[in-house]
Amino acid sequence: MNIKAILPKAAFPSVPNAWKQYQPSASQPLLPIGAAEVDERLHGGIVQAGLHEFFGGAKADSHAAAAFALLLAWRLPESDAGIFWVTGDKERQTSGRLYPLGLSAMGGNPSRILLVQTADLRDALRAAADAIRSKAARAVILETHGNARMVDLTSTRRLALAAAESGVLALLVRGDAAPMPSAASTRWRICSAPSAPLPGNAPGLPTFDINLLRHRGGTASFAARVTWDHATRSFFDTPLSGGLSAAVTDTEADPQQRFRA
Amino acid sequence: MRLAACDPAALALGLSGGMALADARARVPELAVFDHDPAADLDLLGWLADGCERYSPACMIDPPQGLLIDITGCTYRFGDDEICLAKDLKQRLRRHGLTGQIALGATPDSARAKARYAKQAIHALPVEALDAGDKVHQALRRAGLKTLQDLACRPRKAFATRFGKATVVKLARLLEEEDACITPRRHVPVVSVTQNFAEPISRTHDVLDSIATLMGKAAAQLNDRSQGGRRFEVSLFRSDGHIARLAVDTGGPTRDSALLMRLIRERIDALSDPLDPGFGYDLIQLTVPTADILLPSQAGLDTKVDRSAQTEALIDRLSVWLGRDRVRYFEERNSHIPERAVVECAAQSGQPQKNWSKPTKAEPPMRPFRLFETPQRIEALASIPDGPPRQFRWRKSLHHIVAYEGPERIAAEWWRRKAGHEQGKGGPTRDYYRVEDSEGRRFWLFRHGLYSETDAPIWYLHGLFA
Repeated sequence: MNIKAILPKAAFPSVPNAWKQYQPSASQPLLPIGAAEVDERLHGGIVQAGLHEFFGGAKADSHAAAAFALLLAWRLPESDAGIFWVTGDKERQTSGRLYPLGLSAMGGNPSRILLVQTADLRDALRAAADAIRSKAARAVILETHGNARMVDLTSTRRLALAAAESGVLALLVRGDAAPMPSAASTRWRICSAPSAPLPGNAPGLPTFDINLLRHRGGTASFAARVTWDHATRSFFDTPLSGGLSAAVTDTEADPQQRFRA
Repeated sequence: MRLAACDPAALALGLSGGMALADARARVPELAVFDHDPAADLDLLGWLADGCERYSPACMIDPPQGLLIDITGCTYRFGDDEICLAKDLKQRLRRHGLTGQIALGATPDSARAKARYAKQAIHALPVEALDAGDKVHQALRRAGLKTLQDLACRPRKAFATRFGKATVVKLARLLEEEDACITPRRHVPVVSVTQNFAEPISRTHDVLDSIATLMGKAAAQLNDRSQGGRRFEVSLFRSDGHIARLAVDTGGPTRDSALLMRLIRERIDALSDPLDPGFGYDLIQLTVPTADILLPSQAGLDTKVDRSAQTEALIDRLSVWLGRDRVRYFEERNSHIPERAVVECAAQSGQPQKNWSKPTKAEPPMRPFRLFETPQRIEALASIPDGPPRQFRWRKSLHHIVAYEGPERIAAEWWRRKAGHEQGKGGPTRDYYRVEDSEGRRFWLFRHGLYSETDAPIWYLHGLFA
């Protein structure tokens, strides 16, 4: 599949210059997660004009990765520009559709969301690139499932460059895929975590175990547990036994480790 | 069996429509006979009518074998001469091996009668041209009135009392005293611009160039009317009679030709079978079937980017490329059945609603973040029959429930069912539970049916919480 044909060459003047945009600089606006300890480890937050990848810890955690990405997009200040949610037919069938009543219950405004459903991954990648480049979107979330070979270093680099140019937050939800080399500035592994139960043993607020697997030009990997508070539209730290833990342990199972600079 | 129609050679041998097949075979033993297929005839007529749109947007088929074209004001491309237009039409018909009787008239009825009887003088036509039924024709003939001329020179009042007003109106239309409108096959567009080519063109680049020129002309016309088009259709007339049509819809009224050209280009790229120019296109037509008011707006002096217009443009582009129904927004519906409470509408068709219900208390979300369109069937185990589930199996893995909330009871919409108001016929009630399993995943489950309604209720998983 030739993704090159999809993106105009003019958008990327020359590769050496384009690569410079990857280097983190102090002037780039950052999006804080809201949880103080996590933001401290991230030196302020994740790059707004960049591509971020989210993997689910297990197959059943795919939707946690999607939820976390969407909640991050909601951290952005509200504006006219929408949040584009790009999925393929297959993803929608396996993981259900977004449910706006649930979204509004999580503090977001469902009218900001525009759904783009494509027949296959190739179209989805192209639509996401289009949306990122057009500046019409505040954030673009692309959801893919499984080990899609098409989401490789080249295609993610295109998305990352487009995001850097337009300043759009690009979020790539990879679901149950195994991490592969990519051009994303951060890579996360997201799992659902037990919530603090409410009186009467009712399930509590959305809680996630987040695990930063890599951070381009940034901090070392770490794990934390955060909870989403829909009233303030931000995450807060949730005590995990022993506080912030050290890096991931299963380096053997992590193919991207080999590609780390 | 009878002959439905004959070709010119058969007519020359003395055969005619309506003749019994056995008689015809007796006269001409080597006669070739085909089954009469009225549907195919109608298709051919429709195809011809589409092709005649190169002359005028107002074409109408007149079954079984007529075509009416309103060429009022459409002759300028043929040197303001109807005869030249008719010649052109005749030539094209001949190229397809068709013979046609072409007649020009000031009213549709007169043109039709002239063509049918192959006479140019309307007064010389027989009274049957009135098409008023055998009884009327017979009565007129008995009175010695054989041609329209005989009728034209007599007072109409007497005819009206004897044969009804409709006959007199028909006569007036035949004699071109009273005009009538035809009902075109297709909606007559607001704006229609065409370009003829002496030599057919076939390169996509040239085609796009001429579409751009036409788009500029259409935009100027729309600008004069303070209107913007909502739909733009391009018809590419191939010299062999084939017509390719491309259409783009826009979310709001527009006359921005650069934007429209981009949409057209994407439309061409997204075609499942690419444009086949064959021997080339000899006429390109651009029509705007629907238009809305679009007043000129002044751009702001500040440099703030108009995000909203950009979003609209992106929505239009994606809708053209992926299909209108693939770019959507949410809309709330008045229903308490979860999957019916929300619909997704094409983003081009309108603006999303603003007032979604906001969470008020510091309570966790009561509705899931994702919902399955068809609830997923699960095997659940409850400690007491109508109690909360203890564990369930979904997609081959077992989940132990450690926390739950519920049930939230949602009754079926009995008013949608036939005889739903009767006891026990309203449909099963759902008992929803918000549960969390031992690994911290939160689900929305329901038991379909109360134990008073059914013996063995089935459990379903309906949604996933964040």
